[in-house]
Amino acid sequence: MSTRALRLSLLGATVIVIAIIGPFLPAKWMTTITYAQIFAIYAMGWDILSGMTGQISFGHIFFVAVSGYTTGLLNLYLRWPIWATILLGVAMAVLAGLMFSVPALRLRGPYFSLITLILPLATARLVIILADWTGGELGKFGVAALCPFLDYKANQYCNYYALWALMTGVGLLLIWLSTSRIGKILEAIRENEEAVEAAGINVAKYKIFAFAVSACVVGLGGAFSVHVNESVFFNSLLSLTTSIEMIVASVIGGMGTIVGALWGGFLVRGGEELIREVAHWKLPIGAEGLALSFVERWATFIFFTLLIVLLFVARQGLLPLLTGFFRRGKKRYAS
Amino acid sequence: MALLRVENVRKSFGGLMAVKDVSFRVEPGEIVGLIGPNGAGKSTVFNLIMGTLKPDRGRIFFKSQEITHWPTYKIVDAGIARVFQIAQYFPRKTVYENVEIAAIPNEIFIRAPDPAPKTLQSCARTGLCEHSPNEDRCICREELPGMLPQGGLRRLELARAIGTDPELLLLDEPFAGLSSGEVDEISHLIASLRDEGQTIILVDHNMRGVMRLADRIVVLCFGEKIAEGTPEEVARNPQVQEAYLAGGGF
Repeated sequence: MSTRALRLSLLGATVIVIAIIGPFLPAKWMTTITYAQIFAIYAMGWDILSGMTGQISFGHIFFVAVSGYTTGLLNLYLRWPIWATILLGVAMAVLAGLMFSVPALRLRGPYFSLITLILPLATARLVIILADWTGGELGKFGVAALCPFLDYKANQYCNYYALWALMTGVGLLLIWLSTSRIGKILEAIRENEEAVEAAGINVAKYKIFAFAVSACVVGLGGAFSVHVNESVFFNSLLSLTTSIEMIVASVIGGMGTIVGALWGGFLVRGGEELIREVAHWKLPIGAEGLALSFVERWATFIFFTLLIVLLFVARQGLLPLLTGFFRRGKKRYAS
Repeated sequence: MALLRVENVRKSFGGLMAVKDVSFRVEPGEIVGLIGPNGAGKSTVFNLIMGTLKPDRGRIFFKSQEITHWPTYKIVDAGIARVFQIAQYFPRKTVYENVEIAAIPNEIFIRAPDPAPKTLQSCARTGLCEHSPNEDRCICREELPGMLPQGGLRRLELARAIGTDPELLLLDEPFAGLSSGEVDEISHLIASLRDEGQTIILVDHNMRGVMRLADRIVVLCFGEKIAEGTPEEVARNPQVQEAYLAGGGF
């Protein structure tokens, strides 16, 4: 099986499971998975740039903010329809990605990463300075909803499946791209930039392209998140933790594999919640209360400890662990 | 008309002048040996031709086009390819995938032809085939480059270089680190490329290998060109002999 076929089947299996379990989920979990799907889109977007080319960005939340604030504020103040503001938000994110990629390309390794970290920090200050319009740290409510139903349950289903469709579409597209000849070059850039250039490939052009695609995907996720939340919310649009978690998701799942980043995204967003859930399982009387309070308090800590252990066991990530990293493709023949 | 013209090229690193006003020409179809003791500036000349380094002064022409300030990929597209002194490869890609990169076009938004036939051609040309049950077929190696011996890595780089369809091939110390058997094989391979009309510049500090292959030799010493001529002329040149004795002999 080719890499593309393998990744597409794994993506297919994953999204089918998510589509099927939807109606059986308790309301709380439905919300968790809805947000996990947004985060999985971020993680896949991060993966196509940083996972594939090895240029680690710490600041991808910046693209969430650019797109999110654009769509949210335009919708809020000018009452433009959400399809228009989402498109504009994504376009702004791509533009920001292109503008940023040019100076960023001159930098490598830790210098590149540091610069990417400064972007969301600077943007956060800007948002606070312009608090009259942006709502600052408190955010602004009243943005049009993605799903305008009156019924709460209907809205929940609509959000869940709308983001499911978006995530599936993004996943298909990015897997196709990552296993195309463009993906091969991005991977080669990660391994040896000089050798790629020596093969007659304009490395800068490919990096800028990856930047644009990455910003577009992350921006798309950001724009949708605003309309799911029905607010522009500082802590979700400019959270550095989310920015770092994108890296964690991709690394845990397997960098540059896209499906791995999607899995990692669900693990990161669902894992902690799952540990809390376990704490509520029926335990022998007496032990129950004790375990509950302990796990409740320590859930985040336990979760991250488990992630570290996982990284020790599978340094290349979950997907490569499952498929065997150095799997051989089919032999090619020539006459 | 000369294929490559290097005119009065100069490059300093801080206070050290690595290449001092060097000029030479390469005619189509010839193998030019670029020799000199360690530190003579041979690799720097290659880096200047390939655009990896920019000269402080002087100009470089390829097929009458000035390429002095072009980026590397554009120079490669124009028809110059190089084989590095220290093998540059993709450690987590198979031999096939390493060679394949050269067959992928530098355009994002076009429908590109299948790179497989080209890749296999390059593999077959440089002897990177596995033993196949069917003798007239080449199965490009699927192992990782780390498994190859030094001679195999040199073949890998040659395969990637000729995959870009170069009119001029720059070989930087292709015999360095090879066993004597491998030297013969690679030397044979280079000779067969020449016989097909491939123009080559061959850098080596060891004169023996170059003498056998080169039509003409340019000698560098401390960044300056001190001699140019046929291998016999150069070997008889007292200045060259002195430079080599001072620099540790042939």
